[in-house]
Amino acid sequence: MVSGYAGATLAEHVWHSLRLVVVGFFCAALAGIPLGLLMGYNRPAEALINPIFSLIRPIPPLAWIPLAILWLGLGDAAKVLVIWLAAFVPSVINAHTAVRGIDGALFAAARMLGAPRLRMVTEVIIPGALPMIFTGLRLSLQAAWTTLVAAELVGALMEVGFVLNVAQQDIYPSMILVGMVTVGVLGWLTTKGLVSVERMALARWPQGRS
Amino acid sequence: MGSIRFENAGKTYGSGPGAFQALQNVTLDVTEKEFVAIVGPSGCGKTTCLRMVAGFEPVSSGRVMVNGQDVVAPGPDRAVVFQQFALFPWKTVAENIEFGLRNKGLPKGERKSLVEGALQLMGLESHASAFPHQLSGGMQQRVAIARAYVLDPAVLLMDEPFGALDAQTRVVMQEELVRLARVQPRTVLFITHGVEEAVYLADRVAIMTKRPGRIKEVVDVRAIREAEKWDDLERIEDVMDTESFIHLRTHIWKSLREEKGASK
Ligand SMILES: Nc1ncnc2c1ncn2[C@@H]1O[C@H](COP(=O)(O)OP(=O)(O)OP(=O)(O)O)[C@@H](O)[C@H]1O
Ligand SMILES: [Mg+2]
Repeated sequence: MVSGYAGATLAEHVWHSLRLVVVGFFCAALAGIPLGLLMGYNRPAEALINPIFSLIRPIPPLAWIPLAILWLGLGDAAKVLVIWLAAFVPSVINAHTAVRGIDGALFAAARMLGAPRLRMVTEVIIPGALPMIFTGLRLSLQAAWTTLVAAELVGALMEVGFVLNVAQQDIYPSMILVGMVTVGVLGWLTTKGLVSVERMALARWPQGRS
Repeated sequence: MGSIRFENAGKTYGSGPGAFQALQNVTLDVTEKEFVAIVGPSGCGKTTCLRMVAGFEPVSSGRVMVNGQDVVAPGPDRAVVFQQFALFPWKTVAENIEFGLRNKGLPKGERKSLVEGALQLMGLESHASAFPHQLSGGMQQRVAIARAYVLDPAVLLMDEPFGALDAQTRVVMQEELVRLARVQPRTVLFITHGVEEAVYLADRVAIMTKRPGRIKEVVDVRAIREAEKWDDLERIEDVMDTESFIHLRTHIWKSLREEKGASK
């Protein structure tokens, strides 16, 4: 049961998928959170970016697959791009909403206390938005995993080994099951990892806030 | 240092047909180390007055000056105590108090001793490393007052600072503020809905008209407080029982009542 899953071991498949998800997720968080924060704090930036973002947002990530393959070819790069797109959206939305939800009196207080611009970002905006940023990250991670499975499936359909694939799936239903369980377990483990990071990061925050 | 001057100050929110005149020709002088309370009907523009001094709102006409300089932006020389405290929930009590000092660029050692002094002044020593949500409302407002006092501001601006507190805590805080005003006198602009609070705390009480707000009358409380020796009385209720206090309170009440009647 260890080898023979479409020419690679299960461990290799797992490692490969994990890498795609982690890279896509991290790139999405790294781009999405600052963009969301900027939109939340800077009105002109919001006016500029929000319309574009609102237009792209309703497009399901999977609809990008043909374009992704056209641009980047049939490989990991295309898959990462699609995963990135899926994970990007919740990170942006939550960071944006988070800044909007910060009590305006805190900004007034910080200005009154003479906070320079950079400190306003690092000690008011980011901490104020942090609980909701993590909510966004959890949704992003979930989206990344969901999209991975779909991207792999669609990718497989495009591949030459299409027929073989279907045959294999028909013959070995247990393999499909193992794949599903594996994705489930991996999703659960990475979410658990994220939640423990969240718990450490939010140790200073009053409980019961989201 | 620490005078505030409103010179025919006006404020209009918005522009065009939706414009809304909140203040009109507000003129008031607060001299150094003086405690002035503003009372007025709801929505008459009291908060707007304070926000203009703080630098959160620009004046639309006339001038607002602190120490003879037009106010242009918020700054630590004009410390604000907000009704809802506005403490940073992710900072401890000590860190909240220290924040303004760090922005001023004071060295660590100096900050530490100033924070300790402020904690002591407000009786917060045992809560230095607590987070705001672990404290009662009264305690949180003490932190906010400590955070303002530690900056050594030219003026202290308070917008209904005790409005969110229960009646008992409010009385304690009022007595505390009177004590503070004796140990560390400041120029204070204090906004309140409570006529008794205004008379108890202030040197002068400014009464505003309904909107667009103007200063209608300024009542000198200090002269009476000194003549009647209120400061010899320990408790707030003893002061409130004196005939002179009742007389002032009733006078201000009537003046306010006229405004409420006029708005109908
Ligand atoms: N940013 C704003 N934009 C438009 N109108 C405003 C704004 N801020 C205040 N106003 C209006 O200006 C008027 C004065 O408001 P302000 O808050 O100064 O009154 P106030 O005397 O403090 O009232 P209260 O006693 O209820 O605290 C109100 O009618 C209010 O609706
Ligand atoms: Mg007000």
